[in-house]
Amino acid sequence: MSLLDSLRFTRGDTSVHNLDPRVKFMLTMVFFAASVMFLDLVPLMIVFVVQVPLVIIAKVTGEWIKSLKGAAVIACIIFVSNMLSFYYFQGGNLTWALVEYSLSLTFRFIVLVTSFSIFFLTTSPDKLSLALEKARIPYEFNFAFITAIRFVPVLADEAQTIMDAQRSRGLELDKGNFITRVKNYIPILLPLIINSIRRSLELAEAMESRAFGATVDRTNLYELKMNQTDYLTLTFILLCVALLIYAKLYLPSFPKLLGDAAIF
Amino acid sequence: MGIIEVKDLSYTYPHSTKPALTNINLTIQPGEFLLLTGPSGCGKTTFCRALNGLVPKFYNGEMTGKVEVNGLNTIEHPTMKLAQNVGLIFQNPDNQIFALTVEKDIAFGLENQGVSKAEMMREIDWALTVTGIQHLRQRATHELSGGQKQRLTIASVLAMHPKVIVMDEPTAFLDPVGAEHIFAVLDRLNKEFGMTIILIEHRMDLAAKYVDRIIVFNEGSLLSDGLPTDIFVSDSTRLLGVGIPRVLELARRLETRGLRFNQLPVSADQFYDSILRYLPEPTQEKSCNVIDLDMYTGEFHHQPVIQVNNLHFSYPGNVKALNDVSLTIHKGDFIAIMGENGAGKTTLVKHFNGLLKPDSGSVFVDGVDVSTTSVAKLARNVGLVFQNPDDQLFEETVEKEISFALRNFGFRDSVIENRVNWALNLLELTEYRERSPFTLSGGERKRVALASVLAWDPEVLVLDEPTVGQDYGQKERLRHFLVHLRTQGKTVVIVTHDVEFVAECQPRIMLMANSKLIDEGTAKEIMTCPEKLRQCSVAQPEITRLFSRLVPHGLPPDVLDVDEAFDLLLRHVKEAEQ
Repeated sequence: MSLLDSLRFTRGDTSVHNLDPRVKFMLTMVFFAASVMFLDLVPLMIVFVVQVPLVIIAKVTGEWIKSLKGAAVIACIIFVSNMLSFYYFQGGNLTWALVEYSLSLTFRFIVLVTSFSIFFLTTSPDKLSLALEKARIPYEFNFAFITAIRFVPVLADEAQTIMDAQRSRGLELDKGNFITRVKNYIPILLPLIINSIRRSLELAEAMESRAFGATVDRTNLYELKMNQTDYLTLTFILLCVALLIYAKLYLPSFPKLLGDAAIF
Repeated sequence: MGIIEVKDLSYTYPHSTKPALTNINLTIQPGEFLLLTGPSGCGKTTFCRALNGLVPKFYNGEMTGKVEVNGLNTIEHPTMKLAQNVGLIFQNPDNQIFALTVEKDIAFGLENQGVSKAEMMREIDWALTVTGIQHLRQRATHELSGGQKQRLTIASVLAMHPKVIVMDEPTAFLDPVGAEHIFAVLDRLNKEFGMTIILIEHRMDLAAKYVDRIIVFNEGSLLSDGLPTDIFVSDSTRLLGVGIPRVLELARRLETRGLRFNQLPVSADQFYDSILRYLPEPTQEKSCNVIDLDMYTGEFHHQPVIQVNNLHFSYPGNVKALNDVSLTIHKGDFIAIMGENGAGKTTLVKHFNGLLKPDSGSVFVDGVDVSTTSVAKLARNVGLVFQNPDDQLFEETVEKEISFALRNFGFRDSVIENRVNWALNLLELTEYRERSPFTLSGGERKRVALASVLAWDPEVLVLDEPTVGQDYGQKERLRHFLVHLRTQGKTVVIVTHDVEFVAECQPRIMLMANSKLIDEGTAKEIMTCPEKLRQCSVAQPEITRLFSRLVPHGLPPDVLDVDEAFDLLLRHVKEAEQ
C-alpha cells in the first residue's frame, strides 16, 4: 500500500505544484519516453538528475523516498530475476555487462516511479479534472472522478468501522479454511454495500439541492491559465524532445560504465 | 402571502401503504425561525423534502395538495431551480460535500448555476465570513472536523443566497460547543440577514431559545403550531413526549407552588431574570453548602474491571490519538466519557475489547492484558455497541441478527434460543423477530444493534453515542434501560455529547480533550467546572448553568436535574419569605 500512498496528492505552494497540469503531464511523458527509449545507465541517470531537483523544489522528498521504499521490493525482484534469467540464458557467464544491464532495467523502473510520483504528488485532483475538462471530457465523468477521490477516505473509514463492529460481535476474519474465510467477509461487505446505496441516494438528493445540472453553461471556480513558468517549462520540454530524438537517431551508443569483463 | 405556503399536503412514499404526510396546512412568513419537531418517523424529514420538490419528484410516490415556495409551485419547477429559494441541509455532512477543498465546495452550487468567477469569489467570501470559517478556505474537506464540516455545508448552501434554509438535525454528531456554534450561525442569519430558518431538532434545551415558532408533527400530521412557551405547556405536546427545556419544566413546577413567571423561560438566563425577585440579595461570600463529596466516592471499593495505564496510541501517519491516558473502571460503575469531537473517546473504548492495541502502556480487562488477547475473547466480557446500527446489521431477520454473535462465540443452540428471546423481550423487539432489520425505523434498528450485543450478556457494556438522533421518548427508554442494567451490577460505559442526558443519569464522568484525559469525577464535580468543560468543548446543562448564577444568592452550584433544582429552589424561596 505504501507505493499507492506515496502517489496521494500532497498540498503545497511550490512552482512545481503551480505548474499547469497539462504542462506537467507533458513533462512526465517526456521522462517516461526518455526512460523507455534508452536502456543505458548514462541517459537514465541524466533523467534522474533532472528529476531529483524537481522533487526537492516541490518539497515532497519525504513522500518520494517513501514511494521508493515501496518500490524497492519490486526493484530488487527486477534486478535479481534479470540477473538469474540472463545468467542461465547466456550459458552461465557472469559479466559486468550483465550487471549493468540489470541495473539499467532496475533504474528505469525507479525513474518511472519518480516521474509518476512527481506528477501525482504535486497535482491536485481538482486541477487534473480541469485539465480533463479542457480536453473536452464531459462534466459528468469529471464529477464522477472527483467524487470517487472525495469518497475514498470516507469509505475506508466506514469499512474500518464495520469491521470493528463485527469483530466486536465475535467475528473472526482469519479463522477457518479458504471458503469459511470468504464467508467471513459477508457481514462486512453487506453493510458496506447497503450503506453505499443509501449514501448514493443521499448524495443525489444533496446534488439536486445544490442545483446540479441547472444550466449547461456550467462555470468553474478554478481556471487554467498558462503563465511564464509554464511557457518556460514548455520550451524546456520541446528542447528535451529534440534532444531525445537526436540522441536516439545520431548517437550510436552510450559508454558502458562497468565495462564488459567477466566477473569470475 | 408567506414565503412558504403549504395547502392540504398529503404524500405517500412508493411501495408504502401508510401516508407519510396527511393534510398539512401551513404558512411560514419571511424572517421566521421555526423549529420542527416530533417523535422519530413523524414525517418531519419528508416535509422538508417536500419544500424543494425532492418529494415527490425525486422519490416519486403520490402527492396531493400544493406547496409553494416564494410563489413557485414545487411541482411545476425543477428542484435545481427551487434550490435558489430553499437551501436544504441534511444530517450527515459527509454526504453533501462534493469538492476536495472548502472554497471549491462552496462554489459547487454556483458553478452549477453558471455564475461568473468574480461573483463566485464575492459569494464565497461572504459565506465564509458569515459562518466564521475564513481560515479554512484552502483546506481539504476530508481534513475538517465534524463541526467544521457542518459549517461548510451551511456556507455552501448560503452562497446560493436562498430565501429559506432548512436544516435536518444539523448538530446530531457535534460536541455541545460545536452545536452552539451552529446555532449561533443560524441565529445570525436569521436576525442579521432576515433569512427564514426551518430547523429540525430533538434537543430542545439547545434549540428552544433561538426560535420564535414551534411546529409539532405526529404520525404525518400537524399536531400543534405556536409560540415555544405555548407549545411546551400544551398537554398534547407533553403526552407525545416531545422534550421540554428543563428550565421551563422547572418553572412550570414552581408555578404550581405559587411562584409567578412573567413569561415562561426557555433558557437559564431568562429563568434567572424571572426568579430574581423571589431571592434574597446576593451576598459577597460564596455559600459553601456543596454536597459532601465523600458520599459519592464511597461506592468505589469494588474490583477494577478495566485498568488503563499510561496508554499511548497513534493512528498510521503519526496521528496521536491517545496521550498518556490512565484510568480505572470498577465493577458496577456507570461511566460517561465526554469531550470534543476527535478527542480520542472512541479510540479509547476500542482498546477495551482489543480492537486497538496500545502503542505503549497497558490495558487490562478483568486482569487480562488486551495486547496479547484476541478481540473475540475480550469481546465476551466487553460488549461494544457502535454509534450507527447500519454499520453492523446484515442478517435477514432480527432474530438471526441477534444470534449472530452467540453463534460466533459457540453457544449451544438451546442457549442461543433462550438468550435471543431474553434480549428481544428486554428491548421490546419480540414483535419484530421475523422482520428484516432493514425495514425497521432508525430507533428500532438502534435497539436491534443493542440487543445483538446484550444477548451474550457481557460484563461491561460500552455504548458509543447511544442518544444521537433519538427523540425524547427513546432517550427516556434508554435511560430506564441503563438504570435497569446497573441494578443487575453491570458495568456501563457511554461515550456521549448529550449533556442533558448525562445530567439526568448522573454517571461518573471522564473528560477528554486533545488525546488526553483531562479530569474525572462525579457528574456533580465535573459539571460545576465550567473552565474544564470549555476546554473539552462540553457545555454545562441548563439547570447547572442556572444554579451557577444563583450561587451568590446562597444556592449550591452542583445541581443537575429538575427534581433537585425544584426542591432546593422552593425551600430557598420559602426561607427568604420568612
